[in-house]
Amino acid sequence: MTDSLVSIARALVFIVVALVLCAVIFSIAGFSAELMFSAILDGAFLRNGALNHALRWGLPLFITAVGVAISFRAGYFNIGAQGQFYVGAICAAFVAEWTSGAPAFVVIPLCFLAGMIGGALWALWPGLLRLRSGADEVITTLMGNFLAGLLLVYVTSGPLKDQSGSGQQASSRPLDAAYRISNSLGVSPTIIAIAVIVGLSMWLLVNRTSFGMMSGLAGRNPTMVTWQGAKLWKVGLASFIISGALAGLAGTIELMGPNGRLASGFLPAHGFTAILIALVANLSILGSAVAALFFGGLASAALYLPVIAGLPSSAIDIINAAIALFITARSQLIDRIMRFRSRANG
Amino acid sequence: MDDIIIAILRSGTPLVYVTLAGVIAQRAGIWHLGLEGLMIAGACATILGIVFTQSIVLALLIAVGVCMVASVLFWFVVEKLKANQIIAGLGLTGLGLGGTTLAIESIFGSQAAVSAPFGLPRIGPLFGSFGNLSILVLLMPFFVLAFWVLLRRTRFGLRLAAAGEHPFAARSVGIEPSRIRLAALVIGGALCALGGAELAAGSLQFFSQNMTAGRGFMAFAAVIFGAGHPVGAALAAMFFAIVGALGIRAQLVFGDRVPHDLLLGLPYIATVIGIWMSARLRGGAKAISGFGELRDN
Repeated sequence: MTDSLVSIARALVFIVVALVLCAVIFSIAGFSAELMFSAILDGAFLRNGALNHALRWGLPLFITAVGVAISFRAGYFNIGAQGQFYVGAICAAFVAEWTSGAPAFVVIPLCFLAGMIGGALWALWPGLLRLRSGADEVITTLMGNFLAGLLLVYVTSGPLKDQSGSGQQASSRPLDAAYRISNSLGVSPTIIAIAVIVGLSMWLLVNRTSFGMMSGLAGRNPTMVTWQGAKLWKVGLASFIISGALAGLAGTIELMGPNGRLASGFLPAHGFTAILIALVANLSILGSAVAALFFGGLASAALYLPVIAGLPSSAIDIINAAIALFITARSQLIDRIMRFRSRANG
Repeated sequence: MDDIIIAILRSGTPLVYVTLAGVIAQRAGIWHLGLEGLMIAGACATILGIVFTQSIVLALLIAVGVCMVASVLFWFVVEKLKANQIIAGLGLTGLGLGGTTLAIESIFGSQAAVSAPFGLPRIGPLFGSFGNLSILVLLMPFFVLAFWVLLRRTRFGLRLAAAGEHPFAARSVGIEPSRIRLAALVIGGALCALGGAELAAGSLQFFSQNMTAGRGFMAFAAVIFGAGHPVGAALAAMFFAIVGALGIRAQLVFGDRVPHDLLLGLPYIATVIGIWMSARLRGGAKAISGFGELRDN
């Protein structure tokens, strides 16, 4: 219990440190930090319907973050969630295009299947390169993000291009309303149900199965797992596939829910934010749900800032980046205080 | 032929400078994923410096200063707070990308590209058709050589390797690895600033948000591909630049028959192949950074 208290305390302390750094950056850039933070707080958590907005952004983020947590737990730095998210959405969009006209109860499951397979495949090749050749997954998944971004540009300005669109941003033809799983506000019973199912099943997978046990051990001590006779590469590859499939699922939700179409370069910070959520939650599934709501709120503030408060939305990117800078930090001071407290209490 | 070589030098030079920064950090024991963020900070600071001071020297000094300060912050987080290098590096990159966008927005009121009236000095008509390249292109081979000497032939280079490979042994002979790493990161910061300056003010003379487009990560891959050797890593960086230039050339040759956006992906694919080859050639790469430490606390 104390351990998790220590880690929560540490996360909170370093989030505060990160926010102080942000305040410094905002002031240097010529913004009043006070004004900025109050606008962000308002946009993220206090305005009318803030919870709805936080859920709209938080639910897909939660699903991707759970995938990130699973690969990180197994000891693999799959930081390609963004690319897997894009490829999932692209595959789902193609299937929606090909099956267009069929009844919704056929099309929607097929799209979800395609999205998850697409995401899984985009995680599979870095996984194979890592497990068969030892090619470092940090770089390969990062490059995968850039490639998927280009693929999205190609798809939205080529095969799936919306000819009627005259906007600057290339986008695909909009999905038929019958195939949408939510309106553009992005919170519907279907999406909530998917997130709950993902959360529960992955919690069970991690905490109640031998895979969860083995992958957790593999992340800490791969040699021991090999000695115990488990196939390390199977555990590793499964972690890559699951994390990719979940990111692809989130991409499909964004496509068939709030967005309704693909747009080139949509939600560019999704993968990075999901990584943050997993880390802030110390790779726990339940913690990810709470953290996703927080970062979902911040993501909704990124839209609120320029429109309502007249402040640049890059402020949110800076807050996220500053939290990333500090979130894995370990301060001896905090550990010492917490240990002292637990001794005093016990 | 000349124009291909010019294109390769133009895209390769920024990459080489940033790669050298990655090499010195890696030899000191730090896997530096913040290169991308430092590079864009350098690019932005150079252009803003030119716009506001009308002096290339001052602009470069500002860029180098900004990147050095950011490097000290990175050092503090990684070395003093013991943060995970990969995640903290990504955070630094995010700060660079977001911070430069914020700076542009706050100064000019929009996210549009900022152009500068002039860029880095050119190497001059003496070099014929290459005369339009910036002096940083000309200096690049000397930097690579100087780095080779610094890392392989000096006391500092030896200490750097000791701090990176056997910090404990280093400490036992009175070298403070943490201080050596600070020096390595600060030198690297200056190099990233030069790389960013060459990118933005070498031939383009403008800054736009996210203009580094993953070059910092490619430089990081070049460090791995080049096995941490300054010359090898610089060659790897040039290799990525060659692939990129060939992709652009292929567009001219094949026209619409090959999708333009997919050809832009060639350098990224080359990077993946480079990482894969170096893993094959040298056996499985060591995990860059242990994850156990992240979880057990």
